[in-house]
Amino acid sequence: MRFNPFSLDARRERLARKAPSGPLHDFLSTAFPPPHTPIDRAPILAVDFETTGLDPASDHLLSVGHVEVVRGRVELRTARHQVIRSPRTLAGDNVAIHQLTDDQVAGGRPLDAVITDLLRELAGKVLLAHHAAVETGFLREACRRLYGMAPLFPVIDTLHLAKRQLERRNQPYQGSELRLFNLREKYGLPRYRAHNALCDAIATAELFLVQAANSRGRRAPPLKNFLLHT
Amino acid sequence: MEIELKEIRDFVAAIPPFDRLPEEVVTRLAGRLSIEYVRRGHPVPPDGEEISRLYIIRRGAIALYSKESLMGMLGEGDVCTSFCAAQLMPEFTVKATEDTLLYSIPCKELAELVSGDPSVLHFIRHSAAQRLKEAVSRIQEQSQSSLLHSYAGDYCKGPVVTAPPGISIQDAARLMTEKGISSLLLMEEGKPAGILTDRDIRTRCVAPGLPLETPVEEIMTHGIISARTTDSLFDALLTMTRKQVHHLPVFDEQELRGILTITDIMRQEGMSTVHLTSTIRKAGSVEELVEASRMLPRLQMQLVNMGADQEHVGKAVSAVTDALTVRLIELKEAEIGPPPVPYAWICAGSQARREQTSHSDQDNGLIVSDEMQPEHEAWFEALARFVNDGLNACGFVYCPGNVMASNPEWRQTETVWQDYFDRWINQPEPKALMLSSIFFDMRVVHGDRRLLSNLRGRILEQTPKNQLFLGHMTRNALTHRPPLGFFRDFVLVHDGQHDDTLDLKHSGLVPIIDMARIYALAEGLPETSTLDRLQAAAGTPSLSQGGAANLQDAFEFISRLRLEHQARQIAAGEAPDNFMAPAQLSKLEREHLKDAFKVVQTMQATLELRYQTDRI
Repeated sequence: MRFNPFSLDARRERLARKAPSGPLHDFLSTAFPPPHTPIDRAPILAVDFETTGLDPASDHLLSVGHVEVVRGRVELRTARHQVIRSPRTLAGDNVAIHQLTDDQVAGGRPLDAVITDLLRELAGKVLLAHHAAVETGFLREACRRLYGMAPLFPVIDTLHLAKRQLERRNQPYQGSELRLFNLREKYGLPRYRAHNALCDAIATAELFLVQAANSRGRRAPPLKNFLLHT
Repeated sequence: MEIELKEIRDFVAAIPPFDRLPEEVVTRLAGRLSIEYVRRGHPVPPDGEEISRLYIIRRGAIALYSKESLMGMLGEGDVCTSFCAAQLMPEFTVKATEDTLLYSIPCKELAELVSGDPSVLHFIRHSAAQRLKEAVSRIQEQSQSSLLHSYAGDYCKGPVVTAPPGISIQDAARLMTEKGISSLLLMEEGKPAGILTDRDIRTRCVAPGLPLETPVEEIMTHGIISARTTDSLFDALLTMTRKQVHHLPVFDEQELRGILTITDIMRQEGMSTVHLTSTIRKAGSVEELVEASRMLPRLQMQLVNMGADQEHVGKAVSAVTDALTVRLIELKEAEIGPPPVPYAWICAGSQARREQTSHSDQDNGLIVSDEMQPEHEAWFEALARFVNDGLNACGFVYCPGNVMASNPEWRQTETVWQDYFDRWINQPEPKALMLSSIFFDMRVVHGDRRLLSNLRGRILEQTPKNQLFLGHMTRNALTHRPPLGFFRDFVLVHDGQHDDTLDLKHSGLVPIIDMARIYALAEGLPETSTLDRLQAAAGTPSLSQGGAANLQDAFEFISRLRLEHQARQIAAGEAPDNFMAPAQLSKLEREHLKDAFKVVQTMQATLELRYQTDRI
């Protein structure tokens, strides 16, 4: 294959040269999965963040959940859930949404330890999330603060895939139809009552299995068909 | 495991056999699961998977095939153990029949996890049908001490004193007194010619004042009914009940071994069906019959407690119902005189199949000879009303669907009955068939048996050829389906509302009874009882040997649960019914019941495919 200087992996290599040694450098030193990898062979990490809001600059990361998708299977033995220690007291609203209490948050781990672990898990994999802008935005912001620069990742966004599918069919839709919960209902996936980062990461991964299966002809399409263009 | 996986763990923890595992094992198991998604029509596992896995269906459904034939269907909350089975079936394939979300774990990994629990290991390595078979044979072993496992050869008394039938009554009486016996067997050329009892001498000789020199053959009972040494006491008892005799000569391969008396059996049984039927036979009024029939629930309970199986209890109860019916008819005939033309009193439904439990609804009718004239109608109507009312008073309540001889529709001549059946079979209408399917199980209780056998011959000649009729019967049969989601829901609902009950009859037995009827009609088989029908249909194009064996096991298991449930109700002084609270089931029983339901479901699906019921 011809070397493409603008490919994601080429950009990764250039960033790796600039990154300070440490977790971010290690992450950037691992090759991304090649874009032609059949989708059911691509290593994927489904990630979900719970945050205090939508703005990475002013809001905080509260917890991180992730699980691997290996050869078309969500592997629960790889499931992790981590709560981030934060000095801030939670606003009442967020407690209701995230089911995290101040005690849990106070008992959590420091942000740099959580990000270090996450980057190690993510190395060599595709980041999978629903409405991935939150996860990529907060992860990049955290890296900027911790290591002075933001990385890049190959990303699959289940919301984007669902939207693209509806648009290709010229189907009118409402924004609410693209919510994780509603998409899962549409595909007959079980209803999970709990609302936390790991549960949502698993829920996203299951939704992705459906999307990948539905896009499959006789052979599995390549990874690049699913990647978000960044 | 992350605590956030709790929902997945709770789902798994509610499913047999994992509901038996300690919490920490289930938690570890949940943490090792893989989740995969298979689209409808695609194989499980997806191409290229080489590790054998156990699958738990979270959403959707899968079907199991061996060499193209459907072996089982699994839905939400079911466990597919097939890939972990000790020996895989030949050409075994699994396919998703709906878009399906599966949890899975490699069999080896699971076996290590549950190595502390042999019963769970056993579950994983066997199919639903295998597990059910074992459960049924275990239950049968447990009923060791019963009449079923005592044999006529061990209880009959010998050596038997015999005499030639030409001997005088006086010599016979002298011989009997000398030997201290109450019955004398008359043998001619090594074969039994008749039997003489104390009672015969009293009622047939002394009372009418016959000379004492009269040869015994003039007062002995001819046409001897005998038993074999290998017959169970239960079968011997049934023979006595049906034929109204109290002595049975018992033979082995070569010769007479002894005489079995009702007293010998009663000593074993306590209260006897024969005793009850002879009380019924002597009853002089409806009031006395009502009194006697009060014993029936206790009799049923006693039989169950002795370990009698469904077949025997059903036969015993049906024999008592038959006796009641016959006695009611005799009482009425004594009042209104003999029938103007020949007729047959027929029973339908469970009584006809000899699968009755005490105090079910009555289903009956009358087939009257074509010689009937309009002026005879009143006689039959009077008879029908009296018998229907009498049975109702005895606890066999009026049929809610009015399938009774007192309904003129079901009190008709041969020709009209023939027309009924011709119409049902040749111009089948689903609704009409739903009502009439009960008449495809018919038996003569009293009267001229030929009236029914002519009709039956005509029916069975037509049904195998008529696919549309069989298709409609099948579609009706499929309206009752086993409630497979029931157990999981029961386990998951923790709000203390376990008011839901399981209708063992309609969700378990009726589907099997209906299917057995279809097999019999499709193959033109005259059998009426469900187990006999399954036995006779086994190996025909309609039903495989394996399918028949599985259905028989399922029928026996569910019947057993129902009988035990009713025995408990009777003991508690309640009216027996078919509704069982799942809380009364042990975990193991719940598991076996689920296996039985699976068997039923699979056979229903096979039947559905065969008659393409979705196209009619």
